[in-house]
Amino acid sequence: MKTTVVGSYPKIPDPPAPGRWRTSVEKLQRGEMTPEDMHRVEDEVTAEALSEMAQAGIDILTDGQIRWEDGQTYFTRGLGGFAINGLQRYFDTNVYYRQPVCEGEVTWRGPISVDDYRFAAGHSPRPVKPVVTGPLTLAVLSRDEFYGNPDQFVMALAAALNKELKALAAAGAVLIQVDEPGLLGQRDRFPLFRRAMDVLWDGVGVRRALYTYFGHVDGLYPAILDLPVDIVGLDFVAGSRNWEVLRRAKFTKELGLGILDARNTKMETDEAVADACRRAAEIVPAAALYVGPSAGLEFLPRHVARRKLEVLAAGVRRAQEDAA
Amino acid sequence: MTATEQALPTTTVGSFPKPPYLLEARRKHARKQLGAGELERLERQATEEWIRRQEEIGLDILVDGEMYRGDMVAFFADEMDGFAIPGLVRSYGNRYYPKPAVVGPVGRRRPVTVAWWTFAQSLTSKPVKGMLTGPYTIAEWSFNEHYPTRRELVLDLARAIHDEAVDLERAGARYIQIDEPAIHTRPDEDFELAVEAMDIVTRGLQAYTISHVCYGDVPRIYPAMLRLGVHQLDLALKNEDFALLDTFRSPRFTKDIGLGVIDAHSHRTESPDEVVEGIRRALKVIPLPQIYVSPDCGLKTRTIEETVAKLTSMVEGTRRVRKELSK
Repeated sequence: MKTTVVGSYPKIPDPPAPGRWRTSVEKLQRGEMTPEDMHRVEDEVTAEALSEMAQAGIDILTDGQIRWEDGQTYFTRGLGGFAINGLQRYFDTNVYYRQPVCEGEVTWRGPISVDDYRFAAGHSPRPVKPVVTGPLTLAVLSRDEFYGNPDQFVMALAAALNKELKALAAAGAVLIQVDEPGLLGQRDRFPLFRRAMDVLWDGVGVRRALYTYFGHVDGLYPAILDLPVDIVGLDFVAGSRNWEVLRRAKFTKELGLGILDARNTKMETDEAVADACRRAAEIVPAAALYVGPSAGLEFLPRHVARRKLEVLAAGVRRAQEDAA
Repeated sequence: MTATEQALPTTTVGSFPKPPYLLEARRKHARKQLGAGELERLERQATEEWIRRQEEIGLDILVDGEMYRGDMVAFFADEMDGFAIPGLVRSYGNRYYPKPAVVGPVGRRRPVTVAWWTFAQSLTSKPVKGMLTGPYTIAEWSFNEHYPTRRELVLDLARAIHDEAVDLERAGARYIQIDEPAIHTRPDEDFELAVEAMDIVTRGLQAYTISHVCYGDVPRIYPAMLRLGVHQLDLALKNEDFALLDTFRSPRFTKDIGLGVIDAHSHRTESPDEVVEGIRRALKVIPLPQIYVSPDCGLKTRTIEETVAKLTSMVEGTRRVRKELSK
């Protein structure tokens, strides 16, 4: 049983500590800071996030996505064919993102996230998994003005991102996570999703994780087990129905158990986490469990995120001690 | 309901940028280096400056500019029972807000906005809008640690905001705006709840009521949004180059519209001609008596200079259209 995170970590500390990242962005916008200096600030904040997550007791880290404006902009800014447009609500959250607009053929122009992954892996006390926003989610959250055919758009994104995954693998990543929260609003498009996953992961020689969040996978299960991935990460908070859904067929993958509510400050207890781990151990062997939050942690203030990770680690320890 | 005598009344969404002296005073106050009395004196000074600026620009329906508010939800959370503020959360870019947590039953200790409204109205003969945040948005933009369901929280908040609206009306407010920018967060699951809550808020009011909804997927809640219990829906159109007008062609837009013709999140000042063009496009879809002219959103993230320039263009563009129409 391992602890992990799903993605983002709050970029700024709690007041009154100065939010260095935030003031640096303001300086950058006013032309009082160079992009190189900003990059160094992001380096420092990334290293700080990695160290905080590790200290809280997390085994497999992300880079905290400190450099991501949002999950869409970060990747589409690097791909060919996209412009970045106005603000849109991110699913059912009160977080906004800038909507990518596809204005031409989607192409992979070169590595987007590889340098950032290398930096994180080189500055982390624990293993780091790179995270990539998946083709269906990118398509759902973008506006297509080029393909005119939603399936073609998704497949073009899958082909472009396949090159990104290969570049991450070549840079040394042994586990890569692809996020597809968008799948949960597109259940009737599973055949397309399946084709997209085949193209996305083709020839990518790493352990493969696919994460969904913000809902349950009723209607997608057990079909989701046919996808070419090793780990399936699910949200058991917004998607508490997943407990019931997973009983309908034998779960044959490793499981990302999202049980810590990443979208509410209400604090879990060690015991509740341990209970969820025991319950999950009835679905998959404990060794195949990756216990984590329900989604990225940037929905929370920093101290709450950190405290939640500590509770998570304590709960998992408790479950392991009981099992031993 | 005719709210003003003039065609195409101009107004704004609510917030204006705080002057540097007030930002500094708020920082000092947060560090306990400045007393509440002195902070309030500066908030009043800044409010008066914005009333004067709005009069000079020639706006028809004024706002107090929200010099005394940090954030549209946290302000109400601070003033009401049942809330705590656990910290800052990012909404986009480097914008953070103090997201409240509901930790007990919510309710009003005393009127929240009436004294500021009364003060602002005392400074001008033009009408000043009463500005409230809607129950659905307060609930949606707070962490809920207390109520078993969102519904119970939203309805308790609706009753409290209704009491506030009644108090504003008693104080003399003829326009009351209840902002619901979060209303399309969960359109399938929750839209009826938001409608039910707004009905509670505006029940029995005589004032002209407005609700501001911004960003998100407006077509997704159309035409259902026309059932929201207010006279006017104030919407962001400029931001998406008036794409929403296609949605409003059919079925017909039956409420008044606060037509957002100025992008609240760009530094660029729109020209009066752009405003003219925007209003002309709207007039092809929505009849003249239903249109109010407004920016897309609150202007608090702009500078004072940008705000004045944008609103001056807006009023000038509106005047040109009025002149054309009167020919």
